[in-house]
Amino acid sequence: MSEMVYGAYILVWPTLTLGVLAVICGAVIKDAVQARNSDTDMV
Amino acid sequence: MNENDFAQFSVLTIAILLIAFYGGTYLLTLLIRKKEEDTSGFMVAGHRVGFGMGAASMTATWIWAASFYAAATSGYTYGVSGPIHYGLWGALMILFIYPFGRRFRELAPNGHTLGELIHARHGSSSQLILAGSNILGSTISLMVNFTAAGALVSVLSPLSFQTGVIVAGVGVLSYTVTSGFRASVFTDFAQLVALMAITVIIIPAVLFSVGGPSVMVDGLQNLTAEQADFFSIDAILNQGAPFFVAVLAYAIGNQTISQRLFAVREKHIKRTFVTATLGYGAIVIGLGMIGLMALTVGIEPVNGNMNNLIPQMVSAYLPSAFVALFFVLVIGALSSTADSDLSALSTIMMADIYGKNIAKDNPDPKKMLLVGRITMIVATAAGLIFASFALDILVMLVFVGALWGAIVFPVIISCFWDRVSNAAFTWSVVVAMALFCVARFELLEMTGVTVLFFEVLASVGGAVVFGLMAFGFFGRTVGFLVGAIAGGLMLFYATGFLRDYMVLTASLTAYGASTVVCTVMTLFSNERFDFDLIKQRVGNYDDVADEEDETTMIPEGVRS
Repeated sequence: MSEMVYGAYILVWPTLTLGVLAVICGAVIKDAVQARNSDTDMV
Repeated sequence: MNENDFAQFSVLTIAILLIAFYGGTYLLTLLIRKKEEDTSGFMVAGHRVGFGMGAASMTATWIWAASFYAAATSGYTYGVSGPIHYGLWGALMILFIYPFGRRFRELAPNGHTLGELIHARHGSSSQLILAGSNILGSTISLMVNFTAAGALVSVLSPLSFQTGVIVAGVGVLSYTVTSGFRASVFTDFAQLVALMAITVIIIPAVLFSVGGPSVMVDGLQNLTAEQADFFSIDAILNQGAPFFVAVLAYAIGNQTISQRLFAVREKHIKRTFVTATLGYGAIVIGLGMIGLMALTVGIEPVNGNMNNLIPQMVSAYLPSAFVALFFVLVIGALSSTADSDLSALSTIMMADIYGKNIAKDNPDPKKMLLVGRITMIVATAAGLIFASFALDILVMLVFVGALWGAIVFPVIISCFWDRVSNAAFTWSVVVAMALFCVARFELLEMTGVTVLFFEVLASVGGAVVFGLMAFGFFGRTVGFLVGAIAGGLMLFYATGFLRDYMVLTASLTAYGASTVVCTVMTLFSNERFDFDLIKQRVGNYDDVADEEDETTMIPEGVRS
């Protein structure tokens, strides 16, 4: 296994985590704005 | 560092961390507190949870304290493929349930528990089997998470195990008891953001502190041929296969999952659960890589205890601030799961026990909320007592796992096939559990025709697992086809082979036996169930009270 492959194999998971975190935060912010505009609760 | 090779915090530092975590979480719940909660909000947040909150909550709930330790242990034990074999199958538990979740939601749009749906379909005995398995699972989960809190506090500070257990129990109860599921979902989001941020920081930090990929590649010689093989048969058979078998069972057996299937807006179910699958897999597999790194650089776990691997690696290679982050990571993971278990237990007691079996579909919403809150307090006390006495729960875990396996086919098929009867559901589970016990504890001599009988049943079980997974995504024809191919291959390869893996055989027997009994009894049944009845029978408990209030306001002479 080369250095690059090993490094990628380890680091792909925190990178994917960061991507999912961005998607979730984006969706929550969008929901929060909608809830505020329509004067409803998020949960 | 202490004699255990871990960074050690003072009592003051650990107290500040715990107060900041639980105090901050409690303050968060004040933002959503209502003067008067309603039962629908307390149990499923009014079925209105959005995609982002839903995905965060599902991910945070499914990641519990054991996730990190077990993934790292798998990486250390099985090498390159180890973390994948732990994290991937756990993630697929979330993915494979959502097609069935959409069916549950279609049948009972106002449902709160899967037990309510089964009650509407079959009646009390089937419902109580499912609710009982849910209660056992959540109680065990509570106990394990509180135990993990005690262990972590006692390892990283001078405080005792019992102190850690009590702080976690009281902390989780304090922020969950007022708003129930709404508090659980809202705090799950905050806990997941912290959890993900720490994961993103810690994994690269450990990798480069150890010396980076070049040092790791040099250390690959420490791995055996099996550990270095990405397609290691050892890892597949000992880590992957048992988890694969449990994929549908864990998802069906957990009210924490079905609660979210009923809580998320119906149109968001698919993307919520797909996102949670990716989030869970990324975090757990990523942290499992720390176990692989420990193996590669030749670290030996302190006292031979694999649970020490991650704190050991973080303590050895990173500043103590990172150990504090790791502490928050584990406390956040166990708390998000424990608060979901409390919500699950309270909802089962409110809807399945009080609503359906005591109040007979005519509950008092205020009394119902009281039942939910008392359940949370009693469950926390039980979890604290079980954790403090460090009870050996292995037999109970084995039993619950088998029970979940036994109910998978009857629960799912009851939602699609109108001929399945209450007797078929109940007897299939009873017979499956009896045969599971015979195989698991080898109550009969496992030779000759006897062991062949169990291998054939286990092969049917394997076919059911594959068939149901395909059925969920691609429909009946593909499901039957995949099941038939899997069954044929299992019969050809597994007979004569599975007898060497009786634990796996017993688990598959639970699936196979319940499927055979349920199918045979159903084929002899003349029942034809109208699925539209479920929608009428599973409703919103607040509406019942509102309708009654309105009725009492109508003058008597006006009533027809």
